[in-house]
Amino acid sequence: MTSDHIHPEPTTFLKKHVFSVDHKVIAKQFLWFGLVWLGIGGIMAMMLRWQLANPGVPVPLFGKLLFPRTSGVIDPASYNTLFTMHGTIMIFLGLTPAMIGALGNWSIPLMIGARDMIFPTLNMLSFWTMVMGGAVGFYSLFVPLGATEAGWTGYPTLSTTVGGVGQGETLWAIAVFLIGASSIMGGINYITTVIRLRCPGMNWMRLPLTVWGLFLTSILNVLFIPVIGSAMILLVLDRVFGTTFYVPASIMSGGTGGDPILYQHLFWIFGHPEVYILILPAWGVVCDLLSFFARKPAFGYRTSVGAMVAVTVLSAVVYGHHMFTTGLSAMLGESFMLLTMIISVPAEVLFFNWLHTLWKGNLRLTTPMLFAMSVIFVFGLGGLTGIYLATIGTDIFLHDTYFVVGHFHLTMAASALFGTFAAVYFWFPKMFGRMMSERLGKLHFWLSFVPLVIVFCIMFISGYAGMPRRYYDHTSTEYLRPLQHLNVATSVAAFLLGAAQLIFVYNFIKSRWWGEPAPQNPWEVGTLDWTTETPVPYYNFKTIPVVQCGPHEFSNPVLGPDTDWIYQTEKLPG
Amino acid sequence: MNTTGIIELHGEQPVDQAPLETGRDRVNATLGMILFIGSWTMAFGTLFLSFLVLRDKIAVWPPAGIALPSAPIAGIATLVLAASSVFVERASRSLAVAPGAGSDRRSSFNSLWITGMLLGLGFALLQAWLWYDLILAGRTQTSGLYESLFFGLTWVHAAHVLVGLFMLSWGLIGSKLRRYGPERRSFISNAALFWHFVGIVWLFLFLGFFVF
Repeated sequence: MTSDHIHPEPTTFLKKHVFSVDHKVIAKQFLWFGLVWLGIGGIMAMMLRWQLANPGVPVPLFGKLLFPRTSGVIDPASYNTLFTMHGTIMIFLGLTPAMIGALGNWSIPLMIGARDMIFPTLNMLSFWTMVMGGAVGFYSLFVPLGATEAGWTGYPTLSTTVGGVGQGETLWAIAVFLIGASSIMGGINYITTVIRLRCPGMNWMRLPLTVWGLFLTSILNVLFIPVIGSAMILLVLDRVFGTTFYVPASIMSGGTGGDPILYQHLFWIFGHPEVYILILPAWGVVCDLLSFFARKPAFGYRTSVGAMVAVTVLSAVVYGHHMFTTGLSAMLGESFMLLTMIISVPAEVLFFNWLHTLWKGNLRLTTPMLFAMSVIFVFGLGGLTGIYLATIGTDIFLHDTYFVVGHFHLTMAASALFGTFAAVYFWFPKMFGRMMSERLGKLHFWLSFVPLVIVFCIMFISGYAGMPRRYYDHTSTEYLRPLQHLNVATSVAAFLLGAAQLIFVYNFIKSRWWGEPAPQNPWEVGTLDWTTETPVPYYNFKTIPVVQCGPHEFSNPVLGPDTDWIYQTEKLPG
Repeated sequence: MNTTGIIELHGEQPVDQAPLETGRDRVNATLGMILFIGSWTMAFGTLFLSFLVLRDKIAVWPPAGIALPSAPIAGIATLVLAASSVFVERASRSLAVAPGAGSDRRSSFNSLWITGMLLGLGFALLQAWLWYDLILAGRTQTSGLYESLFFGLTWVHAAHVLVGLFMLSWGLIGSKLRRYGPERRSFISNAALFWHFVGIVWLFLFLGFFVF
């Protein structure tokens, strides 16, 4: 039926690789799916940066192919479509499957000592629902009048039929709905699996922090994705069936109208937890990897767990800081400001724990470790600048400028992306049975990290100088013309960042098929996933393991001088 | 299957043990369903939040001078759906009774379950009547905010009624195939849970549109 029962291994290609119910295969499917979409979203970002640096100049290489009517120049409507779909794709089709789908499916059962997810069929359904969502989103790019232009937030009235004609916006809403349904299925599966399938001895305080991060993310998924699901249903009803939930009275032919601001509330009730949905797994991975590669126990394990739980709870009650300029009442605005500020307390606890884990550690600067450490830096930059946006006085000035773009890219985009890279480099040997090239990995890291910091730090400067986001051409506005050199510099760094990802693609594909065969435990860590053979057998564990110690027993003096680590299935001596 | 969760593999090739449900499996299935319903509570909670926010924009509630959905029909529909839930729950519980007179138990399950299904179908028809009545009076979802709310929210709810009816039918087919018993009834209890949830959502819709 479920859980600890062992299914016979499927033999047909279709059951083994396509409609598989094995969490390991589904994890790989999610990973490939997410990486492809990250690539598509990344190319879109490159085109955006091209337009901003060289307004009106045809896109080189493939411009004529994509924009034949304007002989390669990105027209304003296409520009709107590009930034809208870039955001949507990166969040819903790139990071969500790569971080939550792939990492969650791979690590949860293996790290808690289970044979599979608790509902394997639901797991398969989750992946294929996401594929359907991706297909609808992709199809929307090719309908007459093009995909949505309303921004990834899809605010009415831009997103109602008043502002967005054509099918693009409707298809976008349906795609978000389907992807959300997929995330809810995954979330229900992850939560139930972690609660019910932990192997004997794996109590809550022995869980690897990766699993904690994914568990809390799943709770947010299950509780807050339905909110955007309902918001999307109302949007589709407005667009297709002519209801007036979001259409204000003034543009109706008389009668009572709805409320566009309602959508903003619904969107951000979901939208703010979504930020933490993406970042919590990355935090979990960072907590674990810093300990693994500093060869020290994760400092303050319990406080890290507490901090992540606190962030999860607080994330539900701060969404109003996205709406300071909509005319929230002063009391509400100040409450949201205060609650937002309070989030930095548990976040600081995590930072303190990370830095203290590194302190006097025996650092092994492997590629996953470099990416994990970079998350501290990148998220630190993004988090500190968040304070300015949480404060009403400064936010009203900075709202909808590149300062905001820089801030949220560093926090939810870059941190989650680097967390994903860390996870991919770390679990690749177990996943595919081969090692990734360390040399190329480090090259990829430095060529990603440095340009990325440059890109978004320049955005802070240009945003602070008043450059608004979502403008098609900053040179067309007198007061922004002196800032154009900042746009050019950002774009140059962004192209470097984009080019660096080709190293990753090359390394990933080459290592997948021609890399060196990986030993069972190349990183010398003790969590349950590394106790299995490489490649992991269909049933994961021949005997369900029994856990005897925590996940981070590194350099424990009782281990003696010969080794500095111990499997979780072994008993600490003495 | 055993309660400690430790299973030895015999030989190299894992074998399918074609299990009956254990109590542990039932807890797993129920927990999954509770999480699902929790998630859906947030979804309908969002719709109710929208309902409250938008209702506040309508000066007179319910609007005066236009045709409104019929409160008596809605009241009857509420009672029918409540009765349906009771029958479905009793059917579900009848499966848990310790074995003995096996065929008796199945037939009592079938009659209770079918009664619940028919009452559910009755609710669906009454719901259709409510819509039909309004449409005859010239009110559709495009007529104004009140109609947007009424049609929009009842459509979403009706979609769940259909899913619920589909689950009940699936349960009936399974029962005819003798698939269920005291050791195999997670689907039935989960379908019942979902059906109760659909009923509770309707209760809130009824209170929102016809009582307060």
